[in-house]
Amino acid sequence: MTAIQVSGLVKRYGAFEAVKGVSFEVAEGEIFALLGRNGAGKTTTVEVLAGFQRPDEGTVRVLGLDPAGQRGEARRRTGVMLQEAGFFPDLTVARTVDTWRDFTAAARPRDEALRLAGLAHKAGTKVRQLSGGEKRRLDLALATLGRPEVLFLDEPTTGMDPEARRDTWELVRGLAADGATVLLTTHYLEEAQRLASSLAILDGGAIVAAGGMAETLAAQSGRVAFRMPPGVAPDELPLPVTLEGELAVCRAEDPDLAAQTLLSWAAGRGLRLTGLDVRAATLEDLFLDRSTS
Amino acid sequence: MSLAATYKLGARLFWRDKAMLAGSVITPVGLTVGMPLLMRHVQADGVAWATQTFYGSTALVLSITGFMNIAVALSMRRDQLVLKRLRSTMLTDGQILAGEIASTVTQTVALVVGCLVAVRFVADVPFPDNPVVFVAATLGGAVCVAVLGAAYTAAIPRAELAAAMTVPVFLVCGVGAGAMGPLLDLLPSWVRSVFDLLPTSAAVHAMKTGEFAAPALNLALWTLAGLVAIRLWFRWEPRRS
Repeated sequence: MTAIQVSGLVKRYGAFEAVKGVSFEVAEGEIFALLGRNGAGKTTTVEVLAGFQRPDEGTVRVLGLDPAGQRGEARRRTGVMLQEAGFFPDLTVARTVDTWRDFTAAARPRDEALRLAGLAHKAGTKVRQLSGGEKRRLDLALATLGRPEVLFLDEPTTGMDPEARRDTWELVRGLAADGATVLLTTHYLEEAQRLASSLAILDGGAIVAAGGMAETLAAQSGRVAFRMPPGVAPDELPLPVTLEGELAVCRAEDPDLAAQTLLSWAAGRGLRLTGLDVRAATLEDLFLDRSTS
Repeated sequence: MSLAATYKLGARLFWRDKAMLAGSVITPVGLTVGMPLLMRHVQADGVAWATQTFYGSTALVLSITGFMNIAVALSMRRDQLVLKRLRSTMLTDGQILAGEIASTVTQTVALVVGCLVAVRFVADVPFPDNPVVFVAATLGGAVCVAVLGAAYTAAIPRAELAAAMTVPVFLVCGVGAGAMGPLLDLLPSWVRSVFDLLPTSAAVHAMKTGEFAAPALNLALWTLAGLVAIRLWFRWEPRRS
């Protein structure tokens, strides 16, 4: 079943086209990463999906609902963690959660929500005294308060320390394991690679790569890097390389085979390839390759 | 349930904001009780002057506690993206604004009634002949100014300017309703005629005289205009440019 369906989405701000005909689908229970540089159109897409803005062209459906036209029903079944949103600074963390429980149907108990977000020890602290990372955790607590079927997370771990980030990953995985569909945007590509099972990369408002995480990465070239042996010119090597400072970098669909070829070539000439680094394509490679603006 | 929740939230935040309390409660109450008290003791016909000043001063409570308070609070919440966060909940836009307006109306009516009781004891101002009309006019006036205050936020570019931009409104309302003593009598008649059209002047007229029909029509028209303005121009997020 499809939880999120985006078809030909266009969103303009005056003459500027922020999102240019974006289409993708997210299956129920899937964690989907929407990636891109700043200004690529990620937040605009999330805001349309969350019902804050209407599309100028195209259609979006969340759980079969029009998020702007059927906002009440959509809100009942979705949670939103915005990239930017304020709190009431003079309320304590506990009071903030209690207040939001009043706005949420079948809300989690306050203590459970705080424990999930790792904020139980901050219950009595005023929101204005929280750090940036703690505010993100409170954001997460509010977004997950109503046990949403679909959760939108716009840069959920920005400002969090490494431990909090890992706790958040566990929470997101747990929600997905319980059946929630998660759409997240992030600048931390490692985070996206660890969490998401599928992705789309936006660049200049358009999708430049999309698909399952494993398949998309498998189709991307791996990388073999080593220090150029002294006195060897790049065109003497058996495989094409590019020079990145002292390093020769060879991109290959099968980096293990490329490494074996290079090592055999070096052994035949009595050379040593120092600093050898062989790795499959990472999301960062894919991102840098496709996101060029 | 949700309207009650936003109402409760608005009331809680109103009484927690100590900086706003000085402007929204202490100043208008001080003027509305203090001015009649002063008039009671410095004028020969003290009770009559105190009574006239008290009714005029209720326009200050309406325009400060009702209009200014909601305009400043909503502008701040808009600029701090709190309104945006509230919209990420199940609340409808109407529930968010209605809760805020209802909370403001409650504080405003409570302060006007509290001032009425206070001036009865400290300045011998008699209770109104028609207390039902007094309460109804206070309620209608408070609803009207709170709706207009919410609508006025569309004209406020940044939250820091909100308080300053509401000062002319409460000055005009105060002068128009007679809160500044004889100043109103010094103005040209056409200005007074314009001031009579203000919603605060209509509410004060009803409180003072017990007449209700014409003031009610005035308040209804202003409230309707405010609702239309909210529908057309209210901004839930700050301007990006």
